[in-house]
Amino acid sequence: MAARKGWVVGLLALPAVVFFLVFNYLPMAGLVVAFKEFDVNLGIFDSPWNGLENFTYFLESGDAARILFNTLFLNVLFLGATLAAGIILAIMLNEIRSTFFKRVSQSVVFFPYFVSPVVISIILQVLLAGASGGGGAVNDALSGFGFPAVDWYTEPGPWPWILTVVKIWQLGGYLSVIFLAAITGIPEEVYEAGMIDGASRAQMAWRITLPLLKPTAAVLLVLGVGRIFYGDFGTIYAIIGDNGTLFDNTDVIDTYVFRALRQLGDFGTTAAIGLFQSVVGFILVVIAVLIQRKYSKETSIL
Amino acid sequence: MSNPMMSRRGLLAAGGGLSVAAFLSACSSGSSQSQATGGAGSGALTLSLLLPGDVPVGWDPVLAEVNKKLQKDLGFTIKPQFIPWTSYGQQALLKFTAGEKFDTALQARWLNMTQLVASGSIVELSSLLSSGKYPNLTATIDPKIIELNRWSGKLYGLPQINSVARFHHFSIRQDLAEKLGMSDITDFAGLEKFWYDVKQKNKDIIPIGVSSRMPKLMVAWNPVGWLNPYMWDNPNMSIASFTGDSFNFVLAADGKTTGSSNPIPWWEAPGMVDALRLIRKYYQDGLINKNALTLDSKALDSQFKAGRVASGWAMTDGLSSTALPELTKNVPGAMLANVMPLKGGENAKPYQTFQSDNFVVLNAKGQSNEKAMQLQDWVSIKENHDLLTYGIPGKDWNPDGDDEYEKVSTYTFPGFALAWRAKLERRIKDMTESETKWFDWAQDIDNFTVDPYASFVPDPEPVKRENTQVTAALTQFANPLFIGAVDVDQGLDKLKKALDRAGLAKLQAEMAKQADAYLKGQ
Repeated sequence: MAARKGWVVGLLALPAVVFFLVFNYLPMAGLVVAFKEFDVNLGIFDSPWNGLENFTYFLESGDAARILFNTLFLNVLFLGATLAAGIILAIMLNEIRSTFFKRVSQSVVFFPYFVSPVVISIILQVLLAGASGGGGAVNDALSGFGFPAVDWYTEPGPWPWILTVVKIWQLGGYLSVIFLAAITGIPEEVYEAGMIDGASRAQMAWRITLPLLKPTAAVLLVLGVGRIFYGDFGTIYAIIGDNGTLFDNTDVIDTYVFRALRQLGDFGTTAAIGLFQSVVGFILVVIAVLIQRKYSKETSIL
Repeated sequence: MSNPMMSRRGLLAAGGGLSVAAFLSACSSGSSQSQATGGAGSGALTLSLLLPGDVPVGWDPVLAEVNKKLQKDLGFTIKPQFIPWTSYGQQALLKFTAGEKFDTALQARWLNMTQLVASGSIVELSSLLSSGKYPNLTATIDPKIIELNRWSGKLYGLPQINSVARFHHFSIRQDLAEKLGMSDITDFAGLEKFWYDVKQKNKDIIPIGVSSRMPKLMVAWNPVGWLNPYMWDNPNMSIASFTGDSFNFVLAADGKTTGSSNPIPWWEAPGMVDALRLIRKYYQDGLINKNALTLDSKALDSQFKAGRVASGWAMTDGLSSTALPELTKNVPGAMLANVMPLKGGENAKPYQTFQSDNFVVLNAKGQSNEKAMQLQDWVSIKENHDLLTYGIPGKDWNPDGDDEYEKVSTYTFPGFALAWRAKLERRIKDMTESETKWFDWAQDIDNFTVDPYASFVPDPEPVKRENTQVTAALTQFANPLFIGAVDVDQGLDKLKKALDRAGLAKLQAEMAKQADAYLKGQ
């Protein structure tokens, strides 16, 4: 009986197993390209080996340190800011009493999640440089307050913060829905007890809701850390493109890999950087999970 | 306990087996396709073509008509894939190097053609062209042009031309110039005055429109840098690079007599750094759009047609005037003029390599190279050429005699990427007087001096790694410098350091070796 049950479960798993083997494990054979001088006419397996030359290209290019720093810095910034924005928005939405207004607000803050990065990039261009590159609403506002105009598209300094604002706009509403779901799960009695103790709504949000959102935030944080070594390619590339003046502060490993492959057509180097990225990403996931297990075992995902 | 274990292994084995089978079948289908390369193939076939730009408005009915006729005439159809200009060069390169099976593509030295020749990704066409199977094609491309476009005796692409020489210049809003009291602009000083006057009197108009594709054209381009006044005064500098986006070297003018090409980095040549300083000034004075490094060329084109840009990039291909119908719709009374600020005007006799700016190349891994050539032959027939290039007669255009046409829709096909034939091209009715003048000028070989390095096409293979690193450094450090977005001294210093790290010295030595060998063979 048990054996039969096992077969049935196994049969159910078959499509997923085949899927992962075909699309996730088999392509790993292509990683050998990272150690080869890839020639399209010879193909992956017949191209000559070149040892670690593809890796040294990246490490000796002088770009590696900057790109690694940007990747980590920007992702930490995005992760922290979006989680904080999600929690704050969730608490604020939770305080809205009118169901209709709450639903509308939820939809409004959730909407940016569906906006394509290309559209975001166009909106930003109009805001920061104007439709024909000669002004922009932000500069108009700055001059209204007596500040000088800024050449946003050639000034790398503000871009980590501009991108963070974009990320908050994009993901704040999405994450707030997850946190709202978690808030719904908080037993009503806890709030009743708070009310009996004479807590104000602000005190209840600060002392009850926020601490009880910690497990959800911890899971989202670990999931985020797992992807921390992957730059947010879609958004960053759509906005920055090949604008070299902004690379110092915005070039992350994904945009670098994409540019390397697109401009150079060099699969070996690109595969080497991609492999490096995966290995470091894997190490970071392991570290994040270990830390989470140490400090919050009950919410650990492993 | 043992049974479930066995079943798991069984499942894994089955899954693995399926995957391996899928992988092997994928490999075998790939190899069978590549075996078909060059052959005629059999059955229904759809040729896949890479074309630059956005899908033309009104494309579907034109394609349906083209495919109906193609199917009837040749038994196959086409499925062009349009790739936006912002990424055309790089995506096409990626598709070639990834071994995709498309059939033809637009290529050029300013794109990645030398790289693709070196990697064997494109087909050498001499034997196909001389087979006698493509009479319409050979009748519409001048044999002299074919000979001028051979590289070391080999033909890697079908030159797509509509004038003998190709010369970039400026397309300006003549109505604005006239309002500002400038009836005829002929030199760079006049252009500069126009830009500053526009800036002062028309606050909503950007005087010089630059897109993200243009920075490399600004200072050290062949035959002249777009915003380089010294080169407009002295249009006789030979410039060479290993690949389209790679580093530009200036070659010695007296190479033929000394035997030494002595390639120098562009910034060491006269006028180059001055041009950088001038462009920096233009940028700071607000003459150049601030989003130049991110602005898509299509978006810039729309801005120009909307009347928000006073001058844009133009080529001697007779296409500037095609912007007029849309421009005048948006800005009643708008006029255009083509300005070529050459010292000496039409008598300047600038250098020219006479190499085509655009080629149709055949993918070595394409489904059928013979059918790709048949397509080139088919578009060399006037009726077919007109249908593809101008759209459906009566709906998109109306003929005006044998060699002119009136545009009645916004349909615009990138003919230079598939079907440009000098003998079949029609001029747009109402082509402006100035464009007509410069278009005519570009048809006469005697208006130019043959560049001493005209047929020199360097091979990037021996310095492949350095070339790729140098190209990456240029994107980061040279492009901002070329549009004036960074301080010239600091920017140039950063660029030089990055290029040194990337291996510029090795690139320079290889360029000298190959150019000297070319001179020796002359």
